[in-house]
Amino acid sequence: MKDVIVYVEHDGGRPRRVSLESATKAKELAAALGGKTRAVVLGKDARAVGAEMLTYGVDVAHVAEDADVDAFAIDPQVDYLEAVAREAGPALIVVPYTMIGRDLGSRLGARLGAGMTADVTDLKVEGGRVACVSPKLGGLTITTCGYLTDYGIAAVRPNAFKASGGQAGGEVVELAKPAGKSYAMKVEDVVVEAAGEVGVEEASVVVSGGRGVGGPEPFKTILKDLADALGGAVGASRAAVDAGWVTHSHQVGQTGKTISPSLYIAVGISGAIQHKVGMRTAGTIVAINKDGSVPIGEFADLLVVGDLFQIVPELTNHIKSGAHHA
Amino acid sequence: MKIVVTVKLVPDTNADKRIDPASKRLVRTGVETVLNPFDEYAIEAALQLKDKAGEGTTVTVVTMAPESGKEVVRKALAMGCDDAVLLSDDGLAGSDVWGTAYALAAAIKKSGFDLVVCGTQSTDAITGELPGALAEFLGVPGLTYVRKVELNGTTLAAERETDNGYLKVSCPLPALISVTKSIGEARYPSLKGIMGAKKKTIAPLTLADLALDAPVGSVGAKTEVLALAQPPAREKGKVVHVADGAEGARAIVDFLKEKKLI
Repeated sequence: MKDVIVYVEHDGGRPRRVSLESATKAKELAAALGGKTRAVVLGKDARAVGAEMLTYGVDVAHVAEDADVDAFAIDPQVDYLEAVAREAGPALIVVPYTMIGRDLGSRLGARLGAGMTADVTDLKVEGGRVACVSPKLGGLTITTCGYLTDYGIAAVRPNAFKASGGQAGGEVVELAKPAGKSYAMKVEDVVVEAAGEVGVEEASVVVSGGRGVGGPEPFKTILKDLADALGGAVGASRAAVDAGWVTHSHQVGQTGKTISPSLYIAVGISGAIQHKVGMRTAGTIVAINKDGSVPIGEFADLLVVGDLFQIVPELTNHIKSGAHHA
Repeated sequence: MKIVVTVKLVPDTNADKRIDPASKRLVRTGVETVLNPFDEYAIEAALQLKDKAGEGTTVTVVTMAPESGKEVVRKALAMGCDDAVLLSDDGLAGSDVWGTAYALAAAIKKSGFDLVVCGTQSTDAITGELPGALAEFLGVPGLTYVRKVELNGTTLAAERETDNGYLKVSCPLPALISVTKSIGEARYPSLKGIMGAKKKTIAPLTLADLALDAPVGSVGAKTEVLALAQPPAREKGKVVHVADGAEGARAIVDFLKEKKLI
């Protein structure tokens, strides 16, 4: 493995932060491996996003503004990514550990006969080989894996690396359309329910609500306000999702998402094992609950016992007014 | 119409899970085994499609598990699946995502299918990468994170979750989907279902039946575990009882400042 290829997820003409984090890490790895850093940017706005990737230290941004990428789900992207991988030769391919990234990584991995590592929180080069660090069993064990193949695919967890921009150099190169392909999975409509919102997997701050929140309303009001004030996303426990208060894409835990934001605020969540496995690796955990004996108190860094309906809005005011700077 | 549901047997979430330092694999003995909770939604989705389509549509469960997993597979049959294929072979031990998908694809092809339904991920490995790899090996379109699915003749219409909404997607069969819990709560086996499941077929399959071209199991692994470490457990933190919102907010702000998070 020499080159490091970063698949860039982007939205509204901007790369998503996980892709910037990946590019910064990729540059460090490529330097150690003696190869190049490549980015692959596909679909609408690819050229502009590719140009922005150069400022994060990418040597070559491969771009294709091909309408098929947006008109058909997943398959055109796998073909483009495969083409770049074949051109580069044995390489590490970095995809985000997100819904799209897992799909792309697994399809490409099957196709290339590549080793696949998932939920990667650190990447290193040791003795000329790439080593991938991932928490397993809900953070109970940390594994370090190596590849036994020419190509390796690492699906990296958002918020695992720092993004560092402001760099010069590199070039944007247009990709040729893969020949002889036809696509069947047609995107009929893209429905955006919450424009501009970051997903819980990517957010560095997540404010989650559980049974104690009592209904759907607080997810749109007090929890959303606090998440917005902190630049974060709204999450939920299984109980809240099962009650229909918020959609499944917000669910954190065993049958939802496994996340590690730098700050996790659990509001009215008891913290059963099914929830714990989804957020145990967060940097700092703050819980707000009316009951001082909830399981989350056993592993939260701070448990505030009180009325969430009073505390959360007050906390939002503090954050918004910047009162904490005083 | 033949629907195949893939299921995995996993250790119960509440069980004490550990990795054996010598083999570097998850210890599966002495731990209660259950159907992967995500796969129950896959079974539910397949049964909903069968309920709508009526006569002539069958649901086959395909799993890769030790012989001892038979009784867990029977739960899927009790829920209403028609039959099962149990791929069991010592040579499969130590298979990674690639090997698992490769062997399962061969078993599914042998059984025949119009639609394959998977869970989004397992609760033990949590890679979420099996459905994509499986679609690739089956050579069919694959759509993951499906929250709603319909079959109109031989066309699949589905909604795929995104971070801020969903995509409406259609494709011709054969195809593969992975479904989320939004598909609907998984049904419980009825007493009639449980009794009936005893008579349903669980067909055994071994690697010899599949005649694979590439090695699977630990010899075919594409990755290796270099090291295992146990992170320190999260410790109990501070507990503060507050009288009102202002006091609670102040306690949190002070704490976040101390942690340099704001």
